[in-house]
Amino acid sequence: MPEYKGMVQPQRATPDDMRKIHIEPVPDELKPEKAIEFLDQIRKKFRSFVMAMESCTKCGQCAENCHTYLGTRDPNNIPTNRAELIRKIYKRYFTLEGRWFGKLVGAEDISLDIIEQWYSYFYQCSQCRRCAHVCPFGIDTCEVTFIGRQLLHWLGITPKLHASVGAAMERVGNHTNLPKPGIVDTLEFMSEEIMDEFGVEVEFPVDKPDSDIMYIPSSADFLLNPYTLMGAGMYFTYIGANWTIPSTVTEAGNFGLLFDQYWTQRGNVMRLLNAAQELGIKKIVWGECGHGWRAAKMYIPSLADRPIRWPITHIHDEVADMIRKNELKLDPSKNYKPVTLHDPCNYVRACGLNDNMRVLMRASVSDFREMTPHGMDNFCCGGGSAILFDDPEMYQRRILLSKKKAEQVRATGVGKDGDGILCAPCSICKAQLYPMVEEHELGVEVKGLIDLVGKALVWK
Amino acid sequence: MKLLIGQILPYITVTLFTLGILYRLGRWAGARIVHNITLSPWLQTNGQVAVRIGSEAFLFRNLFRFDKALWAGALLMHFALLNIIGGHIVGFGTLGEEFAMIPGLGITPELSVEMSDLLGSVFGILLFVALLYLLYRRFALENVKLVTKPSDNLWLIYLLVLVGIGNIMRFVPAYHIHYELVYEYMAALILFQPVVHMELLESGFFLAHYLLVQILLIALPFSKLMHLFGMFAERYIVNRVYHDPAPGLPNIDVAAARKAGLGVPAGDAAEEGV
Amino acid sequence: MSAAIVVNGVEIELDEDGFMIDPDLWNEDAAMALAASEGILELTEDHWKVINYLRDYYKQYQIAPMVRKLCQDTGCNLKYIYELFPSGPAKGACKMAGLPKPTGCV
Repeated sequence: MPEYKGMVQPQRATPDDMRKIHIEPVPDELKPEKAIEFLDQIRKKFRSFVMAMESCTKCGQCAENCHTYLGTRDPNNIPTNRAELIRKIYKRYFTLEGRWFGKLVGAEDISLDIIEQWYSYFYQCSQCRRCAHVCPFGIDTCEVTFIGRQLLHWLGITPKLHASVGAAMERVGNHTNLPKPGIVDTLEFMSEEIMDEFGVEVEFPVDKPDSDIMYIPSSADFLLNPYTLMGAGMYFTYIGANWTIPSTVTEAGNFGLLFDQYWTQRGNVMRLLNAAQELGIKKIVWGECGHGWRAAKMYIPSLADRPIRWPITHIHDEVADMIRKNELKLDPSKNYKPVTLHDPCNYVRACGLNDNMRVLMRASVSDFREMTPHGMDNFCCGGGSAILFDDPEMYQRRILLSKKKAEQVRATGVGKDGDGILCAPCSICKAQLYPMVEEHELGVEVKGLIDLVGKALVWK
Repeated sequence: MKLLIGQILPYITVTLFTLGILYRLGRWAGARIVHNITLSPWLQTNGQVAVRIGSEAFLFRNLFRFDKALWAGALLMHFALLNIIGGHIVGFGTLGEEFAMIPGLGITPELSVEMSDLLGSVFGILLFVALLYLLYRRFALENVKLVTKPSDNLWLIYLLVLVGIGNIMRFVPAYHIHYELVYEYMAALILFQPVVHMELLESGFFLAHYLLVQILLIALPFSKLMHLFGMFAERYIVNRVYHDPAPGLPNIDVAAARKAGLGVPAGDAAEEGV
Repeated sequence: MSAAIVVNGVEIELDEDGFMIDPDLWNEDAAMALAASEGILELTEDHWKVINYLRDYYKQYQIAPMVRKLCQDTGCNLKYIYELFPSGPAKGACKMAGLPKPTGCV
C-alpha cells in the first residue's frame, strides 16, 4: 500500500524499472547526501528555481487558488508550503541565514523522511501554474516540482506509471507502447468507423514520404479517444491536406517533461526531429495534449540538438485560423447538447490557446456555457502531470484533487439532464475526467475539442 | 555606544549591505533562464512588458484580482513605506524645503516644511497601521497562519518597532529631531568627518531607530526582503514578449478541396451535405 | 514486491497490479486463476469471447485494441464489459487475458 508515515504516495518503480530508463537507484543511506549534491547542481542552473526559493514573502495568496489545497485541505498542498519542503533544505545548505538561524527562518536538515515527503507532495502538484498566475511576483511552483521530481528521479524514486511510460517512449516513441502494426490497424478501424458514422471517406496515411504536414496525435487517442482521431482525420481530409502520421513518434505528449527533462524528454524531441527530416515535411501540427503541447512549443527550441527547420503549431491554431477566414463550413446544430469547456492548464497558462479554443467552440457547438472561472483563471482537472495513479490511496486522492473542477462543472448546469458534454482537449484531462465525472456524478460525457469540430463539419 | 552606532557601524553597514546585495544578485544572474516559461497571455512588445511588470510591482495587480483585502493592506504599507523612505532622503536632504523647489507652485519654504511634517506624520501612522494589519492576518487567517514561519512574524514586529520609534520622534515634542541635525550628521558621515560629538547622537530614540535601520540593512540581502529585487527578476522570467508562429498550412486550398468533393464517397458529390 | 501464482505447477510472475509479466506463459488455467483475484467466480462464454479476442489481437499487434473496437468486434457494449469484468476492459479484461498493463494517459 503506497503510503509513507501517513503520506499518500504513488506506486514506485522497481529498481529494474529504473534501470530500463538508465537510472541506477541510489541506496537509501546515500540518498540524503546525493540529494544535496544534485540540488547544488540544479540551483546553479535554473533562475526560476532560485527565485522561488528566495523571493517568496509568504503572503498566502496561492493557498485559496490551488485546486490541491482546496480539495484536500492538506497544508503541504499550499503551493508555497510545497515549495517550502525543498526551500527548507535549500536554505539550510545554500544560504547564510539558513546555516546560522535554522528553524527561525524555517531551515531544516535533510533526511530520508524529507525525501519521502518530496515524493508524496511533488506528485500531488499537477504543475498547472495557477499559483504562478496568481502570485504577485509570478513565482512558479511548477518549476520547483519539475526540479523536485528530477532530483527524485536521479535518486531512483519515480512512480511506476512515469517510469513505464519512459520505457515505452524509448522503445516505440509513444506512451502507450503502440507499435506500428497496432497504429496502422487502429487507423484502418477509424476509417471504417468514420464511414459508418459520418458517411465520409477518410484515410490516415502513416509514414507517407513527401507529405507537407506531419500530424502528431496523442497515443491515448488510439485506445480511449476515438473521436479525437476521427475529428483530426476528417479535418485534414476536408481541407485536402497532404498529411501523414509518423509511426516512430505517434505521441503528442512527452512524459519526460513530468519527471526527467534531461534525458527522457529530450529523447522524444530527437525522434520528432528525425521523423520530420525523414518524411520531408514542411510543417508539424500538434494534436490534443496539454503538457505535450507545452513541452513541444516551449521546450523543443531549448532541448533540441540542432536548429529547427519546421514551424510547429497546434491543430487548434490551424482550425481557428481557417474558421476566422471562413474557409470551413461548420454546423453547430450537429452538436446540440449543452457543452462546457475545461481549459487545460497548459493550453491557457503556458501556451496562449485561450482564444483559439473558443473560436472552435463557438463555431462547432450551439449551446456553449463557460464555467467560472475560465480561461487563464481556470482550475486544473486534478490529473495534470500524470496524476493518474490507480492504486487505492492515490485514486481516492484524485477524487479530492478533482473536487474543485467538479464544483465548476456542476455550477454550469450542463449535466443536470444527464446529457451534458464536458469538453477537455487534453489526453491527461480526458483520462482523469472519464472516471472522475462518474465519481462526482456530473451527468456529462467527456469529449475533445477536435471531436466536436469533426462532428460539425459540413461536407456538401 | 554613540561611537559604535553613530561613527563606526554606518560604514560597516554600507559595506555589508552593498557586498551582500551584489553577492545575492550575482547568484541570481549566474543561474539562467533555461527554458521558455512565459505565462500567457502573450505580450507583444517591450512596452507591454514594462506596463505589466510596472502594474505588478507598483499597483500589485495580481493581489487586486484575487484578494482585495490583502491588496489594500499591502499596497498601503508599501506606498507609505515608499513615501517615508523617500521623505527621509528628500526631506532631510533639503531640510524640509523640497516642495518649495517645485517651480510654479508658489510654495514658500515655511509651508514646505509644514507639508513635510504633515506628510511624514500621516504616512508614519498609515505605515504603522498597515503593518499591524499584515501582522494581524498572520495570526487571524487560517491560510496565512499555515504558511507563516517565525521569521515572517519577526520581520513585521521588527518593522513595527522601527516605525513606532520613528513615530514617537515625530509626535512627542520632547523627542523631536530637527532636520538640520540629521542633515549635518549625514553630510559628515559621507565626507568621512568625525561625528561622535554631534548633538544628534545624544537622542536615545534616534540611536535606537538608527541601530534598527542598520541591522535591517545588513540583514536585508539575506532575507525575504530581497523581494524588492525579486519582483523584477521573477516577473522578467514569466512576463516577456512572445510571438506565436504564424498559422497557415502549406499547399492548402480548402475551396478547391471542397469543390473536388474530397472525402465525399464517389457518386455522392452532387448530394446536399452528409 | 511482485507476487506470483502457480498454475499447473508453473510459477507465473505478476507485477504489483496483478498483471502477468510474461504474456507468453498465459493459458486458460492462468485466466481462471487471475479471475479469482478479480472477484469473478465463473467465466461464461462471453468472458471467453472477450478474453480470446484480446489475446488474438495482442498476438497480432502487440498492443491492446482500442476499447471501441473491442466493443464492436465482440458485440459487447462498454457497460456489459464492465458487468463481465468489474475493473473494466483495461484493468480487468486485459489482465485476465495476460496482456501487460496499459500505460500512458489511460
